[in-house]
Amino acid sequence: MPPTADPDEAGGDRRRLIGLIVGAVAAALIVVLLVVGLMNRGMSTTIDDALETGSRPPTPALTLPVLVSGPGLPPVGQDASLSDLKGTVVVLNLWASWCDPCKEESPVLERLWRANRDRGVVVLGVDIQDLSSDALAFIREYGLTYPSLRDGTDDAKSALEATGVPETYVIDRTGRIALHVAGPVGSAAQLQGTINRVLAGK
Amino acid sequence: MAGPALSLTVNEVAREVRCPTCNTPLDVSNSPAADRMKLFIADRIANGDDKQEIIDALVVEFGRGVLATPPKSGFDLVAWIVPIVLVVGGLAAIPFATRAWARRRGGASAPEIAPEDAARLDEELRRRDA
Repeated sequence: MPPTADPDEAGGDRRRLIGLIVGAVAAALIVVLLVVGLMNRGMSTTIDDALETGSRPPTPALTLPVLVSGPGLPPVGQDASLSDLKGTVVVLNLWASWCDPCKEESPVLERLWRANRDRGVVVLGVDIQDLSSDALAFIREYGLTYPSLRDGTDDAKSALEATGVPETYVIDRTGRIALHVAGPVGSAAQLQGTINRVLAGK
Repeated sequence: MAGPALSLTVNEVAREVRCPTCNTPLDVSNSPAADRMKLFIADRIANGDDKQEIIDALVVEFGRGVLATPPKSGFDLVAWIVPIVLVVGGLAAIPFATRAWARRRGGASAPEIAPEDAARLDEELRRRDA
């Protein structure tokens, strides 16, 4: 093929421009997808941001099957909604049977539950990323009497913007988060102050 | 784990599902949650369950998101069809694209000759035919 013909300069420029626009749109789409993906992976920190400014963010709507029932909750296997517990102070604890800090933390939560259950407080475990048989064995082994829900699909973890287990939230009677503890609760005193405050309607 | 030589292995099941804490295929995951799931699979195999029964049990526990590959039915078919359509479409576009490139480089058009050469060629052809 002899290299004789001159390329059509104007046509070439137009084609290059179209190529550039198509490329830019494709790149922008990929960036938008990445951002949306990251936001849906619970990378946002709106709960902690709100708590830091002194406000109480609303608890996200969550409906999960009951693993171990308790006051205000439907029987085992049925779905419970967090909104059903409005009017009660909820100490919500994300946990898993394979999580070592959860093993040290669970007696603390059990003590809190026994000390506060007659005061309109419920300690509510939410078992995540776990096999239900393992979860039930854990509850038996550590003699836990507070109720637990089961979340097999990470709904609670992403809605509550948790990064792992354990994480604990104190939710006031109106369904707003008053305290978030990322990592294990070391002592009952760490939560009791907040529980007393929200019980007093403060 | 004892069993007959040709029995199902844990990894054969594990590669079909995802580790919920690490988002990698279970057979290459080593998190505590992954270890528990492998034990669950081993127990089920010892129990005589087949691969699909074990995978179904894991879906009951963790939802369809636990599957390493999307199921080939319903909306999830999109994940299988879109790549195939893109590859076939890309292959089909090659002849068109190469033709367009060849045209842009001028390969298809004959080289032009100067008017005096054309006149001379016509003249010589006429003389030859006469």
